[in-house]
Amino acid sequence: MRADAVRGHLDGLLLAVLEPGPLHGYAIIAAVQHRSDGVLELRTGTIYPALNRLERLGLLSSSWQSTGERRRRCYELTDAGRRSLAGERTAWSEFTTAIGSVLNPTPPPGVAT
Amino acid sequence: MNAAGRQADPVEDYVTALTAALHGPARVKARMIEEIRGGLADTVTAHTRAGTADPRAAHRAIKEFGTVDEIAPGCQRELTIAQARHTARAVALTTPFLVACWYLAWTTGQDQPWALPRVAQLLAVHLAGVAGVAALLAAAALAVTGSLARRLPVPRRLPLTVAWAGTTASVAMAVATLALATACVLAANWPLLAPAGALAAVSHAVVAASARACRRCARLRTA
Repeated sequence: MRADAVRGHLDGLLLAVLEPGPLHGYAIIAAVQHRSDGVLELRTGTIYPALNRLERLGLLSSSWQSTGERRRRCYELTDAGRRSLAGERTAWSEFTTAIGSVLNPTPPPGVAT
Repeated sequence: MNAAGRQADPVEDYVTALTAALHGPARVKARMIEEIRGGLADTVTAHTRAGTADPRAAHRAIKEFGTVDEIAPGCQRELTIAQARHTARAVALTTPFLVACWYLAWTTGQDQPWALPRVAQLLAVHLAGVAGVAALLAAAALAVTGSLARRLPVPRRLPLTVAWAGTTASVAMAVATLALATACVLAANWPLLAPAGALAAVSHAVVAASARACRRCARLRTA
């Protein structure tokens, strides 16, 4: 799936992969690709400003963690982030239901096709 | 590092180009760059472990990451908002001192032979008004770019508005500094006015520098 199509859903994707626990930037990218079986294409550089924005909005918190000589910034969901994720899921469910109803209409019972 | 050395490390070339393209508060920018450098290094490591040869792994990681032209506007957007918040905080914290300085100059001069002339008093009132409006605008900008941004999109022109509010406040602080310095010369109780003047001068320096950086950020292309 093209990166343009994914862009509008990036916040929801990032919040969802952080739901089980804290992850650093590359692990977040790997989790999105793993969960989507590699179907979702991300310009991986775009997730770093997105993570910064979500932290500014109070949906994520972050801390530096050292592994050997390298420091990695790990992000985790805040309570507000969990509420936002629930909202994203509801909105996505309503959206896909509505689009599905248009694309694959169910004929009313008794109507000949 | 010589030219050959630079060519051997495409990740460092990429990070250098991105660093040059971005402007914003030093600490926030350094954090963002360090995170991006680490993310690229992790990607290169993953490709190398998967069997891609080292130079190709670095080029592949950069290709997946996006070009500097593709990535910079998104990063700059966050840095511009961070700079606007930095400037707004400076204005919100220093303008009450400016108003307090003017109040001091006003009240201490009421019954003194050196009392501020009518023109200076009017100027003081106007400067205090300007500072008050700038402080309110700064407080609103902090709210709009903070938790309120979950509900409302940040207006695109907000950083520029904050930059000019900061510039206006810094000019008011410069005028206040000059006025307090003049009052110091005329006043009998100059030990009270001198620290107020020094405080106004420091406030001017802090806010003017931050507002200048904010104007620069606000002119750059963002996502």
